[in-house]
Amino acid sequence: MSTEKADYSKPELMACCGAREIEDGDVVIVGTGFPAMAANIAKHIQAPHAVLMQESGVIDARPKRPALSVGDPCLNPGAAMIGGLVEIMGMVLQAGLVDVGFLSGSQVDRFGNINTTVIGDYDHPRSRLPGSGGANPIGSLARKTLIIALHDKRRLADKVDFVTTPGYLSGAGDRERWGFPENSGPAAIITNKAILRFDDETKEAFLDAYHPDCTVEEIVANTPWELKISPTVHPTPPPTQDELRVIREVLDPHGMISVYEKKGYV
Amino acid sequence: MSKVMTLKDAVASFVHPGDFLFIGGYVCRTPFAAIHEIIRQNIGELTIVRSNAADDFDMLIGAGLVKRFISTFLSLGIYGLGRCYRRSLEKGIPHKIEVEEYTNLSLPMMLQAGAMGMPFVPVRDMLGTDLLNVKSFMGDNKYKIIDSPFDGKPTLLVPALNPDVAIIHVQQADAEGNAQIWGIGGDCQAGANAARKVIVTCERIVDREVIGQDPSRTIVPSFKTVAVVEEPFGAHPGYTPGFYDVDFAMGYLYQQASNTEDGLAAFLKEWVYDIEDRADYLHHYIERFGYKSFRNLAAAYDYSYPVSYAY
Repeated sequence: MSTEKADYSKPELMACCGAREIEDGDVVIVGTGFPAMAANIAKHIQAPHAVLMQESGVIDARPKRPALSVGDPCLNPGAAMIGGLVEIMGMVLQAGLVDVGFLSGSQVDRFGNINTTVIGDYDHPRSRLPGSGGANPIGSLARKTLIIALHDKRRLADKVDFVTTPGYLSGAGDRERWGFPENSGPAAIITNKAILRFDDETKEAFLDAYHPDCTVEEIVANTPWELKISPTVHPTPPPTQDELRVIREVLDPHGMISVYEKKGYV
Repeated sequence: MSKVMTLKDAVASFVHPGDFLFIGGYVCRTPFAAIHEIIRQNIGELTIVRSNAADDFDMLIGAGLVKRFISTFLSLGIYGLGRCYRRSLEKGIPHKIEVEEYTNLSLPMMLQAGAMGMPFVPVRDMLGTDLLNVKSFMGDNKYKIIDSPFDGKPTLLVPALNPDVAIIHVQQADAEGNAQIWGIGGDCQAGANAARKVIVTCERIVDREVIGQDPSRTIVPSFKTVAVVEEPFGAHPGYTPGFYDVDFAMGYLYQQASNTEDGLAAFLKEWVYDIEDRADYLHHYIERFGYKSFRNLAAAYDYSYPVSYAY
């Protein structure tokens, strides 16, 4: 654990973690906030030919301010194509053309299943959440998904209260049984403490990297299942100067990403 | 034949208690003027549908007018969760609505199927998840899983939807109801054409000749439209591309108000019940927040290159 104060914020690090998962030429479905930031960093660094799209109907938007929703007005002028949900979710996603989808959830389990529907019993909810929106089809049909989550025993779960969006369901072989696209599924859970990846054999999430200000012990203690640790576990590489420049000078000069610190992403 | 009328007349004539309504919009072109008019006329027992519902659906639920909701999602986006929606489902206030849950793939496809006269449509989402384990008022007709007659693989079928009425807000329409949009579509075109009747509210009514200068933008042909209402700022506090931006301050005001039942009641009294129509709403907005705030919402001018359809 480093004693020096980092010259970057946790949300900036997490956005960079997401960005590094994107390859040049990828077709990426993004929402707002982290995912949009991550995908745009990638586009400025290693993936200039990645094409970003929003489920509301926009392909290759060129927003002049960070979009605050997937329907944001700044996504319209400059886009390569605008249609609607049928075009993006049907013609592109269901047709099998999406490489990367970003997802987040109130609850994420060890197989990467996500709950955005309800905390507690479905018919007598303790807390009613928004519902699937585009998450279920993205989790079902994108070649790989990246999941953003807060790392504590409430947000991570051994088993989610409600499977809104499929990860690996009950484990190895389940996605194949339901006829999902071959070799698809979650690639990583990016939390405010760590990067978890999925075991090829069991499809259970294990610890792959810990953020520079966190320890393996702390991460294990905040994970509700018996977290397996990669033999090659290593600290997450901090944001490069180039990545920070893109975030601070190009994508988010007003530092809007800091709202995530208020939401507990620290 | 001109179908131009006031919103009061359009809603009174074509929206009835118990109707199944598609309400267009995706932050973009939410038909808020019509939502307010439905609340003023207190038309209840409604079944409402749209992918990615937001503050307008939350308000209808809070006003007690919704019986059933065919849903994918309901949230106030950056403002937070839909509080009226939560109060209804968590506490039964003002009553518990019935929710049938789909996704932003399956629901638009169900509307598209409805628009095309198809009985049902195969989709490739929801499988393996709890979305298949919860069924509400549609019962076993929420979906069917069959072995595909073509390759034998398990295939999910979902039913087509045909709402009684669609209400959409568009940039421009002619008097007969050819409706044109540009910008983010959401499920507006599918939903409007799935409905038997379409109420079109628009920023401006234009001549048929103007429609004909760029006919590729028309999403609803006139014969589907039963009413055309010119309602500038009709999507406020949502936005209409080329006309005005999202009004974040007003969105936040609603979120704050809707946190409590009393707050919601006061909000509805101030912005809906005590308001005569959309013009009155705008007067009240300007009175309350000043003309400058109102003008600041106006979109910049940045016209596209003209297109030619000539041959």
